[in-house]
This record gives sequence, structure tokens and C-alpha cells, in this order.
Amino acid sequence: MIQAVELRKSYGRTEAVRGVSFEVDRGEILGLLGPNGAGKTSIMKVLTGYHFPDDGKAIVDGMDVTEDPLGVKRVVGYLPESAPLYPDLTPAEYLSFMADARGLEGQARKQAIERSVDACGLGSVYLRPVDQLSKGYRQRLGLAQAILHDPDVLILDEPTTGLDPNQILEIRSLIKELGREKTVILSTHILQEVEATCSKVVILNEGLVAAQGAPDEIGEALKGEERLRLRLKARKGGLDAAGLGRLLGALPGVKSVLRAEAAAEPSAAAGEARVFDAEIATAPGGEPGEAVFDWAVSHDVAILEMARHRLSLEEIFVKLTQEGGRK
Amino acid sequence: MKGSLTVARREFRASFNSPVAYVLIVGFLVFTAAWLFIIQAFFAVGRADLSPWFGIMPIVFAFLIPAATMRSWAEERRLGTYELLLTLPFPESEVVLGKFLAAFGMIGVALLLSLGVPLSVAALGNFDSGVIASQYLGVILMAAAATAAGEWVSSLAKNQVSAFIGAALLILLLVLMDRVGTFLHTTGALAAVFNWLSLSYHNEAFSRGVLETRDLAFYLLATTFFLYLTAWNVRRRKWS
Repeated sequence: MIQAVELRKSYGRTEAVRGVSFEVDRGEILGLLGPNGAGKTSIMKVLTGYHFPDDGKAIVDGMDVTEDPLGVKRVVGYLPESAPLYPDLTPAEYLSFMADARGLEGQARKQAIERSVDACGLGSVYLRPVDQLSKGYRQRLGLAQAILHDPDVLILDEPTTGLDPNQILEIRSLIKELGREKTVILSTHILQEVEATCSKVVILNEGLVAAQGAPDEIGEALKGEERLRLRLKARKGGLDAAGLGRLLGALPGVKSVLRAEAAAEPSAAAGEARVFDAEIATAPGGEPGEAVFDWAVSHDVAILEMARHRLSLEEIFVKLTQEGGRK
Repeated sequence: MKGSLTVARREFRASFNSPVAYVLIVGFLVFTAAWLFIIQAFFAVGRADLSPWFGIMPIVFAFLIPAATMRSWAEERRLGTYELLLTLPFPESEVVLGKFLAAFGMIGVALLLSLGVPLSVAALGNFDSGVIASQYLGVILMAAAATAAGEWVSSLAKNQVSAFIGAALLILLLVLMDRVGTFLHTTGALAAVFNWLSLSYHNEAFSRGVLETRDLAFYLLATTFFLYLTAWNVRRRKWS
């Protein structure tokens, strides 16, 4: 339904999006996750035909956004960041303008407005000027406008900012419901939002895709990744940090060695470190602790400490976005 | 075209929802009437001629029109609704035309209400209604060109204030272009260029009751030109 192929977009000298590809099908909700400035909004602006990409392709419902922007605009419902509205119109006037703009007429027009107002709970403020509405109502009016013409594609830029927890739950369940028949892309920097609503995630950082897949897939690959923190003492000489790293890396069930270094040990003779700190990432499923234990016994290494440590989604996010940042 | 009308309707409604439109229209009517009856001492002169009244309009437009157009793009960008507007399924040119129609419509309301002046003095003397019609046509066309210029400045400006000042300066310059030429003692072809660019120079024939095709063409050309620049500007932003 939506395809982004190697999208690139710069604003002046800032490269906001630096080659992003992903795909979303009907019935899927894609979450664009990333810190501020990761390129989420820029990608959405391209997908809605508001901005043209510098390079790459964006295809929505079979239409290329640069070749048929009007066609794309017709099938897309868009909630821009912070739900911009005209302050001097009431929700009634605003939705009526949007209904005209979307070419709705007669009974269909009336029903569309009623449906959006109901779905977004706007009945009580329908005739109050927008500049008197709370942030929550404005956000809901923005959403009502986006779903007004029952679009096949919904693009929502931070749909739950400024809402209180109850409203957030309501909007999330509304999005999920819409996501059953439509294609939804939403952006957020809140991790729980992705876990709660999305069937697919693209984690962005500095304009690049840091990871993508189903939330549990990313979970498998990263969240399921366990780490072992070790403090080891070599009882025989001749083991250095690099050697230790190699040995640990060769053990079954060990995915990578994140760290292997001599620990600062005041009692050790200068030049010959014997206590090491190591951290290893292990493949999900196995019991790598056992392998480490066996290896330690056979090499006459004492395990001073061994701690298991599981990454939370927060840490995955921090890890992905900071590792990306160092490139 | 449907898109233009939708946009124009919303803008028009919004400007009459706020006091801006009323203040501007009343201000226009009061000032032009005061100019005619008090400063130009219309009754004391005792001539059945509204030229002084029409004559001041270009200068008044230089302030009225920027006030009508300053919101068009600058405000929309500040509010962020610009993005929404340009993701509606209309070509950019229709949005540009719609905004122009809304601002021009407000000027139109002001000019319509100004009919009170010729109607109220009509009984006092032997006015040439043909001349008045031609004078009206002249100022309407001039207003269209000035409105398009104001829209263009608004599409460039960051906020309403700079949109207003920029448009006021541009329209004043265009109105006074022929006098700038005279002031610089230009002659021959150069003077002709200054005159040709002047909004008020092309209004002279209209104010005498003469319809000249070249003047008509000039105003339509100027309007189209500025609207084209505006649309170009809006489209250019898609790439920035």
C-alpha cells in the first residue's frame, strides 16, 4: 500500500532523511519511532505529497507522490504535527470546510461529519471556536479532519501528544480500529505507543533506519538479547584482554563480545592484570552461563561475578539511536 | 476551480468572523468620503465630478489591500495550517487563486458599499454615469493587480507585519511609478517604461471615461503575473 524506497530529503544543508526504505500493507499500523529530529516528520511530509523527496521513491496506493501528488492527497488523511487549526472557526465550520475540500456532498457529507465527530468525541465542543478549545480537543479535531473522508491511508504525526492518559487510550483504540481496514502510519517518540498500537516499527535515527520489523521481531533480535556481565580472574598467567575476548566469542551461544578488558585491580603487580571485566551478548534461547562456566573451569579461570541482564525497549531505543548517532 | 471556491469561502468567512474585515471596510469608506467631502471640499467646488474621490483610491489601496492580503499566506504558515491546506487534493494554483479571490472579495465588498457616495450625490448634479462606471472599472482592475501583488508578498513573508509593510511599499511604488519616472527626469523610452509599470498611469484613461484595451490588458497581465509568482513560490517550497 505504501512503499518508501531510498527516500532522501534535505532542508538546506541539513539532511533530514538519508535513504530510508520501508513498506506498509493494508491492515497494518506502522510506527515511526525516533528521537526528535530523526526524520519522522520529513518522511510524513513526503508521503502526503506536501514536500517532494530529493531522491528515492514514495509510492502510496500505487501512485508516485511526485508524479501524481493529487491522487495521493485524495487517498490520504493527514494529521500534521501539533494539529494545526484555524483559530477563528468552530469545529463545525472547520469540518464543513474540510468536507467541501474533500468533495463530500449531500447525505454522505452529513454522515461523514457525524461519524468523525462521534469517533473523536467532539459533540460537546462542536460549536465553540477553536481558540477556546483545550489541546486535547484540538488534537481530536485534527484527527476528525484526517478521518473525515474515510481515507484508505492515514498519516498521523504524533497523534497523542497533549492528551491526558484516558484520551490517549481512547485515541489509541480508535487508531487500532481504523488500522484494521486501512493503512496507518503514525510517528511517536513514545515507546509504549508503538508497543500498544503498531504492528510494525521503523526506528529512525538521524535520517537513517536503525531497525525495522514487527515490534516482537525487534524484540526477538534485540529485546530478547540477553547480556552477561562477567568478572573473571585468571589463575594462570598468559591471558590478556584480547585473548579473553577471542575465547569468549568462540563459546556456543555467544553472539558477540561487547567488552573485554583488564579490571583496575590495586593488588595486582604492575603490567600483569589478572582480573578482567567482560560483557557478552548472547543469542536468545540458550543457556550461555553454563558454557561460560564450563569454559572457565577448563581454563582455570575463576568466575568472580556473573550477572544476567536483559535489555528493555528503552535501552534498545537508546542503544540504536546512540549507536546511529556516532556514525 | 472548485478548490479555489472552497478555499475562498473559508477565508472569506474567517475574515468576516473577525473584526479585521469590518475595521478595514469602514476605515476605507470613512477615509475616502472624508477626503472627498472635507479635504477636497466637494460641495464648495460644486462640480459634478467624482475624480478626486477615485483619485485618492490608489493611495488608500496601498494600505487597505496589504491589510487584506497579509494574512493569506504568512498567517497560514505561522499557524501550520499551510501544511494542511497544501495536502488537500487541489493543485497549488487553485489554492493561490482561492486566496486571491477571498482577499479581492473583501475589497469588492468595500467598493460595493462605496457606491453609497455616487448614489447619494447623484441627485445633486448632472453626473455622467458612464464616466463613473468606467472609473469604477478602473479601480476594480487596479485593486485586482494590487491584491495579487499583496498575495505574492504574503507568500514570501514570515509574518503578518512584514507581509503588510512589504506589500504596502510594493503597492505604493507601483502606484507612484510614473511619478518616480518624472522625479528622476527620465525621458523617451525610459519614461515610457516607468509609466508602463505604473498602476495609476494605466488608470488615467479609465478616469476620463475611456476604455483602452492596453490598460485593461495591463491590469489583467499584472494580476496574472503576480499570481503566477505566488504559485511559483508555493510550489518552490515543496522542494525546500
